[in-house]
Amino acid sequence: MIDDHHEELAALHALDLLEGAERTQFEQALARDPALQALVLSLRDTSAALAHLAPAVPPPPGLKHRVLASIDALEKNDPAPDNVIRPAPAVFRLSRMIPWAAAAALVVCSAWLGSRYLAVRVEADLARKEQKLTELTLQSSQQQLEAERIIARRRAENAQQQIATAGTQLETTRALVAERDRLLAEARTQTAERDRLIAEARTQLTTREREIAILTQRIDIFTGAAEEIGRKLGEAQQQVARLTFELKSQGDLADFKITTLASLLKNSPQALAVAVWDPGKQEGVLKVEKLPALLANQDYQLWIVDPQYPNPVDGGVFTVDPKTGEARRKFKAKQPVGAVNAFAVTLEQKGGVPVAKGPFVLLGK
Amino acid sequence: MSISIPCFPDGLFHAVAEQESASPWRGRGRMTPPASTGSPPPDNRQHIDARLMQRVAQGDRQAYGDLYDRFSGPLLGAAQLILRDSAEAQDVMHDAFVTIWEKATTFEVGRGSAFSWAVTLVRNRAIDRVRMRRRRAELLADSVLSDLGYAEVATESTGSESAALGDDARAVRAAVATLPAEQKRALELAFFGGLTQEEIARKLSEPLGTVKARIRRGLLKLRESLALRP
Repeated sequence: MIDDHHEELAALHALDLLEGAERTQFEQALARDPALQALVLSLRDTSAALAHLAPAVPPPPGLKHRVLASIDALEKNDPAPDNVIRPAPAVFRLSRMIPWAAAAALVVCSAWLGSRYLAVRVEADLARKEQKLTELTLQSSQQQLEAERIIARRRAENAQQQIATAGTQLETTRALVAERDRLLAEARTQTAERDRLIAEARTQLTTREREIAILTQRIDIFTGAAEEIGRKLGEAQQQVARLTFELKSQGDLADFKITTLASLLKNSPQALAVAVWDPGKQEGVLKVEKLPALLANQDYQLWIVDPQYPNPVDGGVFTVDPKTGEARRKFKAKQPVGAVNAFAVTLEQKGGVPVAKGPFVLLGK
Repeated sequence: MSISIPCFPDGLFHAVAEQESASPWRGRGRMTPPASTGSPPPDNRQHIDARLMQRVAQGDRQAYGDLYDRFSGPLLGAAQLILRDSAEAQDVMHDAFVTIWEKATTFEVGRGSAFSWAVTLVRNRAIDRVRMRRRRAELLADSVLSDLGYAEVATESTGSESAALGDDARAVRAAVATLPAEQKRALELAFFGGLTQEEIARKLSEPLGTVKARIRRGLLKLRESLALRP
């Protein structure tokens, strides 16, 4: 049983691919193992068949003649190997062979001597050829050694040059590496500084965000408070306006002079009048009831008694409804009135008079 | 099918003498009978080749001529594919066939086919020449490895092939065509390129173990396919 390893070695051996110790060891195994020998032989035949993969080339006719001429030359130098089986000579009767035997012996001796002479000459020739071959082999070996020496020297020179180039490249590479290391260190420092700045910025940003949140809350609170204040302010303003109006109204009313005029007529004691005077506006309202009807050439005339003047100030004329004796009219003083002591109504000629002349109809303080 | 065959890197090959000393036909004396190896009997073609080789060992020039006619086409094709130079390929063919005449007595039928032996002789000489050529080229080119060109591997039989060998060629090409591409590539590089295991691995950008396994599986499968042919 041949294992895979020896089978592989046999295949490699069949293709002459084994060398050195591997070949020696395999050949030792091969010598001991007939089955391995048979395998190698069959694989050699198989590998030899690979020659058929090459396209067959018809040999030129001259080649065969050249081969035959060469073996002819060999035959002349070495006519027959010693162990070549040659046809046996014919056998003759001894009695008839004696004379011939003598002659033959002579011929044989001559032939032997001749053949010895030829053999010696051939041996000498072969020796010369071997010497020539040896010289050629030696010359070839010397040339091969010289070639190998030249190749080795050139390889060594190339190797030295490559080592020098590699050394230069190594120095350059080291310098580049150092420069890159320095740049890398700088970059790391810058990166650390930037990281620190970024951290600080983040902290500040966080603080600002927190402050903004607080301020936003405060703004919200203030906004609510402002709205409340605005609302309250509006209410207060409304209240102030109302109070102002009320105060003003109260002030106006307080300043007003309201006087009831009583009748001074005997024939119309029910006659009555009310006069209201607004000192601010310097005007007033008079309302009378149950005054006697006037003649066509008569008017009632209102007078305003102001102590700063010697005579009552003219308040204008008016008429009454003849049927009801009522009248209501606004009046203005002909002169500025400072204080009102009393109002009076007189009966005057139509159109009135500058200074009262007729009788007093109504009087009130 | 086509493959590209690289040039032969430096220091690849054993000397021809070393290769031949490792061959299974060395030092066996003239025409020993076939040894029993347990392998199946050779087919008709191998049998005819073996008979011719026996006659060549006895100095039969007619048999030698017949053997030359049978082998020269594929062998010259292989040599030319390896060397990419027809004149050098013919020189290799000449040397190999002279060696066949000289060493025919060492051939043992049971130690492999006659064709296989002839292929080994031609291939070793061709690869050795490529190595020497590369030595000179390397010296001139300041030891820079460079591909010297590529050659096409045949997929179809050509008209120049003999009828008998044409059958073999067709069978081999059909069997190789069934291999996975990576196995085929590894075998072609190993056979025609003459690269070492490590160089094949670098050429294929694969781990060394992978390349070894591909060569093993490819060669075993090829052997199986060729054994099954009618």
